[in-house]
Amino acid sequence: MSGEVYVIDRVVTHPGCARKFVDTYLAEYAPGARQRGMTLCDVLVSPPIWFDDQPNIITITWSLPSPQAWWEMTWQGRPDPALGPWWAGVAPLIEQRTRTVAAAADDVDALCDV
Amino acid sequence: MFNVTTLIHTYQREPILAALREAVRDVPDALVEPTLPGVRNGGDILMHLQFADDDKWSGVQARVEAVLSTPAVSHVDSASYRGHPIGPDKPAGSVYRALFLRVAPDTADDVVAHFEADLAAMPRYVRSITAWQLSRVETATGTSAWTHVFSQRFTDLEGLTGPYLMHPIHWAYVDRWFDPECPDYIVRDRVCHSFCAVDTSVMG
Repeated sequence: MSGEVYVIDRVVTHPGCARKFVDTYLAEYAPGARQRGMTLCDVLVSPPIWFDDQPNIITITWSLPSPQAWWEMTWQGRPDPALGPWWAGVAPLIEQRTRTVAAAADDVDALCDV
Repeated sequence: MFNVTTLIHTYQREPILAALREAVRDVPDALVEPTLPGVRNGGDILMHLQFADDDKWSGVQARVEAVLSTPAVSHVDSASYRGHPIGPDKPAGSVYRALFLRVAPDTADDVVAHFEADLAAMPRYVRSITAWQLSRVETATGTSAWTHVFSQRFTDLEGLTGPYLMHPIHWAYVDRWFDPECPDYIVRDRVCHSFCAVDTSVMG
């Protein structure tokens, strides 16, 4: 078991806002996330067209080496008064979003055996 | 069952501890213990009282409040609530833990119900929890207008700091309600996370 943990932001952007959201996310959000211990795995755009008249779905995947690292990441992020407002600031670009946490199927049993 | 849980911050722990124990000497299974290292906003003393009904509390309340109003007590968070613990009649476990939290007042009823169901699911997955109770608060004092108390009895301290924290039900599922980066974020005020040793049948 690697115990690796994945944080997945799935963002449905308003029509015409996908490129701006990705650029803003990478320029403003990603550096702080890296400082909190996250490694950027993917930024996927679906469909792979910068629509100007329809939503896009952006799926951004980060990894952390362990659940302990996940806690350390979030303990650093929560006291940061800029983080919540950052998400509020990009809200006009977003139709809906989720943040989920996942692991490899092969790791599930071991992660639950604590 | 009527419950009163109180987290006391004091500069004089031993005298206040003794005074509170004297004030609640007639309450069966009263828990009045120093908190253990690692609490967050959890105070120096944790007091948990259970009564068959709230009339029994009113007979004790004045004595408790007299102690809590002394200058040595710098801050108090307290909540009263109803409900019964879930678990065996005589649960094992050497640590009692109480989480005070406030759900944002603009939260829709169905969202609150979903949140409560998620919290209530945790003991099914965290095997170091031997008994637990989730209750809506009736009266609250302190830093926030607490809406819920989620209390558990744990096998031991490691059961709280290890399995409870490290099981995916916590960090990959329930924690989204507490995380300002998640759209489901509804517990926006700081919580009180307090715990102490227990050797009575509290939560039985």
